[in-house]
Amino acid sequence: MAAEEEFINTVKANEGIIYKIVRLYTFNREDEQDLYQEIVYQLWKSFKSFKNYSKISTWIYKIALNTSISHLRKEKRRGRKITFEDLILQTTEHEDREKKEKIETLYSEIKKLNPIDKGIMLLYLEGNNYEELATITGFTYSNIATRLSRIKQKLTLKIKI
Amino acid sequence: MELEEMRDLWLVMSSDIERQKKLTGSLILKMTRTNFRNRLSNILIPELAGAFVCLAGIGFTVIRFQGLDTWYLQVCGLFTLVILIWLPFLSIKSIVRLQSVNISGNNYKQSLEQFARGKIQFLKIQKWSFYLGAILLLVILPVFGKLISGRNLFQTTSLWMWYVVAYPIFYGLSRWVFRSYSKAVLEAENLLKDLDDH
Repeated sequence: MAAEEEFINTVKANEGIIYKIVRLYTFNREDEQDLYQEIVYQLWKSFKSFKNYSKISTWIYKIALNTSISHLRKEKRRGRKITFEDLILQTTEHEDREKKEKIETLYSEIKKLNPIDKGIMLLYLEGNNYEELATITGFTYSNIATRLSRIKQKLTLKIKI
Repeated sequence: MELEEMRDLWLVMSSDIERQKKLTGSLILKMTRTNFRNRLSNILIPELAGAFVCLAGIGFTVIRFQGLDTWYLQVCGLFTLVILIWLPFLSIKSIVRLQSVNISGNNYKQSLEQFARGKIQFLKIQKWSFYLGAILLLVILPVFGKLISGRNLFQTTSLWMWYVVAYPIFYGLSRWVFRSYSKAVLEAENLLKDLDDH
């Protein structure tokens, strides 16, 4: 399979992961598009290196999170970019109104966390185990456990079931 | 809400997102290619334009330096040259640092450390550029006044008028800039401290 085709399939299969990260690290639609595009570009740039990872998703999380950090300092250096407004996904297509509100609250509270906790929480919610969390973030198991416990305390007060 | 419940809720949202797959192959390829051009135009062109203006100023001052016929105009001329060389140098240095994040090699913690250190460095450079700009404003007016019109502005009142108008504006601007500066540096330092604690 040609590299381009393989890359396209990889991005398509993990479109949701990219989108969820983009939503957490941006504050408006324009930024969303900008960061989304930047992540796809960075994934393409380091596509050859993903073969070193046992799971493609681990590689995608790592590149996407690092790009989001790097994007924070460049946010004012915007310029021409392609528009894909219609292709932006929605976090809450769910018909259950109550669930929809809870999802939005959860998202907005995670968004308010500092960048360290935000990354750890996202990876935890995405279903990664502690080993994957440690590989992607570089924190030790015990650090992650401590942080998750603190994040839980912060969020529990704000999000009521 | 417990963490497990948040995880379940996240799962519901994730499956909603999975159902909406919208990207096409051509769009993905377009993103990678357009972005490459954007990176060049977003970052390099404004900096190159700035460097070109400084270079033009340096060339003009060097070629006509002999027109500065008093010792104080020559001192101003030398300061002008030094600052016009330093300003683009500082700017390019900050951009090189900005671009140096190893996105594929770093883990999240390393990227955050690099981000915080880079931000502090970038803000320091901004502060220095601001001070240099203030000195440049002081020295460039008499130098260019002499080189362009042949008049020694130190012997007229108009130079002092310019200073009287320009520096209060500069002072107000600097107070505003440095208020944001302190807040941003504190945020970056707190992030580094938080990373060091673990």
